[in-house]
Amino acid sequence: MVEASLYFIQQLLNGLTIGSTYALIAIGYTMVYGIIGMINFAHGEIYMIGMYVSFVAITGLMMAGITFLPVVLLLALAFSMFVSSTYGWAVERVAYRPLRGGNRLIPLISAIGMSIFLQNYVRLAQGSRDVAIPSLIEGNWSFGPADGFQATVSLMQVIIWISTVISMFALTQFIARSKTGKACRAVAEDLKMANLLGIDTNRVISVTFIIGAALAAVAGLLLGLYYGVANPFVGFIAGLKAFTAAVLGGIGSIPGAMLGGLLLGVTESMTGAYFSTEYKDVVSFGLLVLILLFRPTGLLGKPEVEKI
Amino acid sequence: MKKFSKKLLTISTSLAIAGTVSFAHADTIKIALAGPVTGAVAQYGDMQMIGAQMAIEKINAAGGVNGDTLEGIIYDDACDPKQAVAVANKIVNDGVKFVVGHLCSSSTQPASDIYEDEGILMVTAASTSPDITTRGYKMVFRTIGLDSHQGPTAGNYIADTIKPKNLAIIHDKQQYGEGIASAVKKTVESKGINVVMYEGVTAGDKDFSSLIAKMKKENVDFIYYGGYHPELGLILRQSAEQGLAAKFMGPEGVGNKDISTIAGAASEGLMVTLPPSFDLNPENKSLVDSFKAKNQDPSGAFVMTAYSAVQVIADGIKLTKGTDTNAIQQALRSNSFSTPTGSLEFDEKGDLKSFDFVIYEWHSDGTKTALK
Repeated sequence: MVEASLYFIQQLLNGLTIGSTYALIAIGYTMVYGIIGMINFAHGEIYMIGMYVSFVAITGLMMAGITFLPVVLLLALAFSMFVSSTYGWAVERVAYRPLRGGNRLIPLISAIGMSIFLQNYVRLAQGSRDVAIPSLIEGNWSFGPADGFQATVSLMQVIIWISTVISMFALTQFIARSKTGKACRAVAEDLKMANLLGIDTNRVISVTFIIGAALAAVAGLLLGLYYGVANPFVGFIAGLKAFTAAVLGGIGSIPGAMLGGLLLGVTESMTGAYFSTEYKDVVSFGLLVLILLFRPTGLLGKPEVEKI
Repeated sequence: MKKFSKKLLTISTSLAIAGTVSFAHADTIKIALAGPVTGAVAQYGDMQMIGAQMAIEKINAAGGVNGDTLEGIIYDDACDPKQAVAVANKIVNDGVKFVVGHLCSSSTQPASDIYEDEGILMVTAASTSPDITTRGYKMVFRTIGLDSHQGPTAGNYIADTIKPKNLAIIHDKQQYGEGIASAVKKTVESKGINVVMYEGVTAGDKDFSSLIAKMKKENVDFIYYGGYHPELGLILRQSAEQGLAAKFMGPEGVGNKDISTIAGAASEGLMVTLPPSFDLNPENKSLVDSFKAKNQDPSGAFVMTAYSAVQVIADGIKLTKGTDTNAIQQALRSNSFSTPTGSLEFDEKGDLKSFDFVIYEWHSDGTKTALK
């Protein structure tokens, strides 16, 4: 009995870890959709770039003789967020802004093109092999009887949870309280009206892309440290999962993205735990279909009201 | 204008004549070297390419084949079945009649359909899936063993030497990985070993924590993984982090230095079935020195098998005194060939009559020592 519950807790924690990072990436999809109603398929690639940049930064700092880990990680995080945000901003500027106002399908194709471009650009610049960094954050705690099943929580997992909570809290506060946050909400509600009332909507949209990219960079650094390897194709699968999480929670809704990410992570983990790892994608995407059948707007999404 | 075009015509005619003259007595025989140059398993492609290029260089330096020189052309399939088919069609269009490749079994399989239809002779130096040669094809050969040999080698070692209490067999659901995993399963079960888990993971996945917790719960003490190193590297690393005390074993698809880069200290003690270290054979010393002189690593699993693949093609051309692939395939089946990987003989299917795998223990610095 104790063993069964410890096993359940272990799998729940594993699911929450992966779910947290899905949630961080999903924010980028959901915010962009909420404001301009398009799906930024290049977002997964921004996450991948964040991972590469943090690897480069960590290696560079270590080589420069800075070995105090918290400093290394904070500097790497700042650098990675900065570079990824620049990419996020540039992608919007180059690939989406000139197409805004036209058919919704046109920026969608442009986004897919951007995704392929970024993937191959990193592949050519960095090589297509896996790059790896050693485990920097070691240490874990085990619970349970010494001779039976022990649940293990690693320090890295705890760091992932804490970082995710901090990022989410900061984002919620920013959206709720700051002036730019208010402008974001206004633009999401009605872009034309916000424009008429003197809000610089282009600036707000740029900010949205920058925030999404910065959070993707946080996920990139965290998962880079957790798994220790990166290749130019990690963004594709991660992006697909995060997009699913965003749709599951209700695309356009920020709490929805968080909930969707966690739900997807836990579902995957539980399927692996009690059924078979082979079927984890089948079950998670089956769940997505089911939820969309009964709640077409996702768990926390609001039905779109035709604006007059 | 008229004068100019007349002049142009003369130039081009004389060029054409010059062309025929200079190529009349020494032809080049093109050999396509097909395999992953990019992608997640590109390092295996490198092994194949350096081995094959070295063979071409040596054969040309020794006077070529029937006075003709060999030329290797690299085609990149990225270990992607779709791209392999595109590559195969390109090889057909380029008029190349010999292929060394492909590398991943899942690429070799669809590409070989095209080669068989077009009468192109293919020798793979790395694909170990038994299915490739069970279709009665005439043009398909390999200079490496089969999963159906490699699986029992691993299975027998697990059952006879390790005798695990709770064995888990994990695979990546691909032709190569699942094929070899099922061969291992069959062997150990026939010897009464308890397989408590037999599961697939998705190639390209990064998170295996759920699977590892499950193995911990089942008290798994030994894991056989059928697949490639990117996934096993992560499984090793995450198992160490989550405190799963078990030993691992894998096929030659996991045995390269990158697994130590990914898994770090967790790769220490991993067991791998690999083709024998042909580079340690004293008879190959001068060849090994030639690789080292070019700063290349001759110890890769497919370097010498690729060398042999080229040599077998060259010897076939010599024996038949021509490049008729149908005559050559008959010659390959009825002769034996002396190569750096030993004296090779092919059976009706195009497989080697004998090929032994050796079990190695892997170390975290990327080196290995033979266990059996």
